[in-house]
Amino acid sequence: MTDTKKYLIEIETPDGALVSSEQHETVGKKYDVSVELPEGYVVAESGEVEAPSHAAPEYVEPMLEQKRQHMGIKAKRIISNTIIYIVLIAMSILWLVPFVCIVFESFRVESTWQVGYVIPKQWGFDNYINLFTKTDFPRWLLNTFIMGVAVAVLQTIIVLAMSYVLSRMRFRGRKGLMNFMLVLGMFPGFLTLILLYKLLSDLHMTGNNSIFGLILVYIGSSGMGYYISKGFFDTIPKSLDEAARVDGATRAQVMFKVILPLAKPIVIYTILMGFMAPWGDFVLAKYIAHNTSKGMNVAVGLQNLIASNATLSTNYTMFCAGGVVVAIPITILFMCLQKYYVEGVTGGAVKG
Amino acid sequence: MATVKLTDVKKIYDNKVVAVHEFNLEIKDKEFVVFVGPSGCGKSTTLRMIAGLEDISEGTIEIDGKVVNDLQPRDRDIAMVFQNYALYPHLTVFENMAFPLRLRRFPVEVEGEPAEGEKEPVENKEGEEDSKEKKIQYVKLSQDEIYKRVTEAAEILGITEYLTRKPRALSGGQRQRVAIGRAMVRESKVFLMDEPLSNLDAKLRNQMRAEIIMLRQKIDSTFVYVTHDQTEAMTLGDRIVIMKDGFIQQVGTPNEVFEMPDNLFVAEFIGAPKMNIIHTELVNEGGKYSVVPYGTKIPVDGYKGELLASKNVESQQILLGVRPEHIVLTAKSNPAAIPCTIQVNEMMGSELHLHVVTDQGGEQLIVRVPTIDLTPAQRAAMVSGAKVFITFEGKVMHFFNKETEISLITDNENVPVATHKDETDDVVKEEQPAKKSLFAKFRKNKGE
Repeated sequence: MTDTKKYLIEIETPDGALVSSEQHETVGKKYDVSVELPEGYVVAESGEVEAPSHAAPEYVEPMLEQKRQHMGIKAKRIISNTIIYIVLIAMSILWLVPFVCIVFESFRVESTWQVGYVIPKQWGFDNYINLFTKTDFPRWLLNTFIMGVAVAVLQTIIVLAMSYVLSRMRFRGRKGLMNFMLVLGMFPGFLTLILLYKLLSDLHMTGNNSIFGLILVYIGSSGMGYYISKGFFDTIPKSLDEAARVDGATRAQVMFKVILPLAKPIVIYTILMGFMAPWGDFVLAKYIAHNTSKGMNVAVGLQNLIASNATLSTNYTMFCAGGVVVAIPITILFMCLQKYYVEGVTGGAVKG
Repeated sequence: MATVKLTDVKKIYDNKVVAVHEFNLEIKDKEFVVFVGPSGCGKSTTLRMIAGLEDISEGTIEIDGKVVNDLQPRDRDIAMVFQNYALYPHLTVFENMAFPLRLRRFPVEVEGEPAEGEKEPVENKEGEEDSKEKKIQYVKLSQDEIYKRVTEAAEILGITEYLTRKPRALSGGQRQRVAIGRAMVRESKVFLMDEPLSNLDAKLRNQMRAEIIMLRQKIDSTFVYVTHDQTEAMTLGDRIVIMKDGFIQQVGTPNEVFEMPDNLFVAEFIGAPKMNIIHTELVNEGGKYSVVPYGTKIPVDGYKGELLASKNVESQQILLGVRPEHIVLTAKSNPAAIPCTIQVNEMMGSELHLHVVTDQGGEQLIVRVPTIDLTPAQRAAMVSGAKVFITFEGKVMHFFNKETEISLITDNENVPVATHKDETDDVVKEEQPAKKSLFAKFRKNKGE
């Protein structure tokens, strides 16, 4: 390496010309490289460099201690699981008792008033038959069903549109609007009860027509229930929107073709919540329907069955049968859609 | 197919943070331009402004001579690849790639009657300008056409066998291919890529980089590519735009930015390991220049010396930049040798990265030594604590003004240079302006 070598490079260009040049000749190449070794290092006969020897680190057996800890953890887990299961079982019994009682009562034939035992002495479907033939129950069921469907459809559209806007668009007053709705939502709904009644009665939406009034009230404030679905939309990456917009989608197409298919759990959750609202409502429904039987929903109608002491003793088992009938469709719906419901509620934890 | 022209483009966010300062650039037709810089330098913001995903605060962006400031992304005729792929998880690979084709209407030349067997014509977008026989119709693509385009793109990218899968059943590299495919099928004017490879592991990244180069030869479109990786920038770009704190630092070919960096930032950013910076003196002795790093006098010979002479540079304290690969080992007897002690020796295979400390001055330098030049004995002797002698030639030196950090030899009058001290204050991302001014004052006092 000590001599000053000249390197030649030849490059043939695509059109056939030959470009040749002298390779650069670095300063370093004129001299041999010199290296001075630090203390302790020796050059062996082979020419290799040998490092000063060091003592090897002691070997520690880690397995035993780990095993012992592992056993401890296993025992602890068994104990804590047992406790958790005991508590859960106790809680589920507590939860199930009233429901089981109602089911038994609804099949009791020997008496129609409240009794001091649970298992009926005589079983039969009399209560159910009476419920459908002697009362307005079919009408209440239909009322509630119509309201449920209407609210589910309208509320879902409003809530999802609202959530999409609040999740994806940035506009002046967005934060303010969200805070305002949060505060507004803290007031109990029946503060406006009297006012609502006055307004609806002016519009002839009370009494016999109360289902229209109720639908209006239920969907009226539904935009404020955007939290859960907005939270879900927030977990869908924004770059999907952006990609779709670059790909040629309008805002509406982004929502219907990209976001909604990904947000299926929350769509189902919203529909379910909308459908269920009229089934459980009592205060508002009672007030708007007052004593018009044809305008009642199931909750108000059933309560009406046992409103006085006299009717309580004649209709109690029928009332229980009504409770069971109402529970059936909702239970079926829930069992089918439970998977989505859970995903919807825990939306933040599920990735789109 | 299209040029992109940015004139005085500026981006100011709502919280008064200026992300991009007067950005001027003309991207030629079919050019591959890479924006590169550290995170937060405004490169992605600029790209997103071209795409229409961010508003443009000031200035204009033209695509193909048409100002697009107020156009929606869908009307700009651009395709974009995102860092996190942004594939639609509920659609199969085929549907993902067909998505832009199904949404759009494409211009087609139609003769006379607009009824053409396979395509269903919809409307004449440009009003009733049917003067001649041929007219442009905007039509939705037929299923056959969509199928043809998607399968073609899939074949080029080698993802044909995955067309029926959902994105979640694909690996990272395959997903990125699908994302590229989705952009490809559109055959749009401009192809934007926002750090498309940074989610991939190192090996896959190298492979995909090579594939993008090949893809580029096939697509032949205008490309704007954003990355923070200087290797990607160097290997992919026809031209590189180096940015820092919202300012363009230098625009040039990979060769230009490597050989002739306009300022210290560019010099340090391009090249890995980064350039060694030595505080030293430039001596002008009647047109003969030399530098004196760590007490060793090294003449500035070759064209760099001529450049200094042509600019008539005075003797002064400078920042001397030398790339690790341009430093060579030499013998003790060489008068230009700088004695150093090895601290760490990183064996990279084809080369050694020696972290050395100069005996005089005690500063750390990095030296890249190709192992092919070393005998086994020499290689074995490069242990921590060993003493080596290094030197470098005049033509590999870079000279920067000590105060402004601007190169002394390049013609950089037109380049907007962010001086590192003052302008960063504008860009520092802080929410409260009150705190910021306090902070700035404190810093200023400390500086003086």
